[in-house]
Amino acid sequence: MTFADHFETFHGLPVHTLPERPEEALPAAGAVAWRLDCHVAESMSFDDLWQSFVDRVPSTEVRALVIGPWWYDEYSELRPALELILADAPRFPALRALFLADVTGEECEISWLQLTDVTPVLEAFPLLEELAVRGGDSQGLGEEPLSLRPVRHEALRIMRFESGGLPAQVVRAVGASELPALEHLELWLGVSQYGGDATVADLAPVLAGGRFPALRRLGLQDSELQDEIAAAVASAPVVAQLESLSLSMGTLTDGGAEALLRGQPLSHLKRLDLHHHFLSESVADRVRTAFGSAGTEVDLSDQCAPHRWRDEEWRYVAVSE
Amino acid sequence: MSLSPSSPAPRTGLRFAVVGNPENRRTSMFADAVRAAGHGTPRVLPWRDVLRGRYAFTPGEWVRIDSPGENAEVDRLLRGTDDPARVEGTALWHRRFTAVLRDVARAAHRAGAVTSADPEDVAVMFDKRRCHARLSAAGVPVPPALTGAVGGWEELKDRLKQARLARVFVKPAHGSSASGIVALETAGPGRVKATTSVETAPDGRLYNSLRVRHYTSEPEVAALVDALVPDGIHVERWLPKASQGGRACDLRVVVVAGRATHAVVRTSRHPMTNLHLGGTRGDLDAARAAITAAGGRFADVLETAERAAACFPGTLCVGVDILPGAGWRRFTVGEVNAFGDLLPRLTGLPGSGAEGLDTYAAQVAAAQVAVRRTERKEHHHDTTA
Repeated sequence: MTFADHFETFHGLPVHTLPERPEEALPAAGAVAWRLDCHVAESMSFDDLWQSFVDRVPSTEVRALVIGPWWYDEYSELRPALELILADAPRFPALRALFLADVTGEECEISWLQLTDVTPVLEAFPLLEELAVRGGDSQGLGEEPLSLRPVRHEALRIMRFESGGLPAQVVRAVGASELPALEHLELWLGVSQYGGDATVADLAPVLAGGRFPALRRLGLQDSELQDEIAAAVASAPVVAQLESLSLSMGTLTDGGAEALLRGQPLSHLKRLDLHHHFLSESVADRVRTAFGSAGTEVDLSDQCAPHRWRDEEWRYVAVSE
Repeated sequence: MSLSPSSPAPRTGLRFAVVGNPENRRTSMFADAVRAAGHGTPRVLPWRDVLRGRYAFTPGEWVRIDSPGENAEVDRLLRGTDDPARVEGTALWHRRFTAVLRDVARAAHRAGAVTSADPEDVAVMFDKRRCHARLSAAGVPVPPALTGAVGGWEELKDRLKQARLARVFVKPAHGSSASGIVALETAGPGRVKATTSVETAPDGRLYNSLRVRHYTSEPEVAALVDALVPDGIHVERWLPKASQGGRACDLRVVVVAGRATHAVVRTSRHPMTNLHLGGTRGDLDAARAAITAAGGRFADVLETAERAAACFPGTLCVGVDILPGAGWRRFTVGEVNAFGDLLPRLTGLPGSGAEGLDTYAAQVAAAQVAVRRTERKEHHHDTTA
């Protein structure tokens, strides 16, 4: 699977794409999430599109920004576009949310997105509350893969990495960061074939709890190690502080689900998301009964069957290439 | 004109014939529409006989030219291959098919019969390079394409680089129904991905399958492209398509006698939206709403389809593939299909004049009008000569 749809809302605001349609009035700067899209712009470069944005929209009021395709004909690296945004950071004192790479599979394979070090975003925007990044290891296409250095950031509440192959380096940097306000952490780990080389050990600081005292919603998703992750989560101290847990989109099988059933109580969770799973009907029923009866909303949709090929069973995560 | 089904059955004395494959549902559905309009059962001239020169027309007959597809014997006669799933042989198919069409049209004209399609129109529609050029010359929006012949993978790579095209569709010039189509992505040195329903056999032959697969090694992709090149390929930019319900989509608009009468949304998880490859019919109302929300007008989309159809004035009915760009703001024409009317049970668009009629009934109704016009014109010529 790849992404098919662009966002319609981000950070609770309707997304407004630039360049706008002819004769379309610009909305109030703080009323929408501004999305820049070089595919819509066609012959306009990201530099020009950015310049036109800051010239025409009162940047001091902009609250949310979504970066769509930053190239038109040939794929290019994100870094120059991001540098442009960061150089203008002082002009965006109200910016609270940034999405990097709202790009669909019709525009570029997620594994081909050429990302960069995103730490400077957190350094340049100390009041940022939401950061979401799509993409991961660029499979050697760019000069650099997606990366992150351990940071301390006082304001960040939501951090999401949507990836078919999230580099272990990023997972470790998240675990080593100090994010006292972080409420929502979502890591799509992906598969090793696309550079998702994190292990369960890399998740240890997150699972230990206390690292992010405000954390209430945790997603460790889209992994080919989903059973191992489930087993680790079953006894992880962090679970006690959560309201919502997602182990969805990966290759979760009966083994992982049984570890959850044997593990610590999950009855305090409002929501347990296991959609896109490989559970048998009987184990899915046990999960539904055990966790659902305590009032937890359990999502067991998108039950998948393994593919059989050359006498072996193959299970796929929801998002990889 | 009103084509309302509640009108009394017209009895113009018009006699219909179909050149088609008798066992095919296209033929039976058209025959049903002819009978429903009160004209009696149309005469069926099987392609297998027509290709052997065994056919004749009668004065005043309306002759529908339908697809020769989905019949192994006919395919063998046209393409010289025993396996209908084979991708190769389309250039030969095109030469033979268009030659027969010209013969059929001449014979019909001599006999005083009228054909539903002009052979030169069909010849262009079945050559994606010429079709693209004709649309482009008429100002119909089309995706940018490479021009001139492409000699093979190495040349294609260079040409794509020069043209700064990272994502293209490589299409056999004479293919139909996604046969042989490759969605090709390139990036960086040697990075390539081809998405296609074509399967390469160990001996290098190409077969169409019902499964969409990916090729990611350059030697595989090179072999695929090199095997397609001898029949001619058309290469055009793969513009990101709009989506519906998490699936990329396009629109098939049927134009009958110049008017867009029927439209469906086709959605797919793959770059190709063809129904036999897992595509499904999408929600036309939702598409219309998305177009309106993006500041556009659905009527303009239909008009684009009508302008594309107007490039083929000698053909009563064509199916136009409209590609909505991501965000539903821009629309380009992907293909114009000579036999693009197989949309069972789909009734006409409101205000199209074909409300309540399927694509076949709409053509039967339009044929009567077309014949009357032709007769008037000929009468006029006779009296003024």
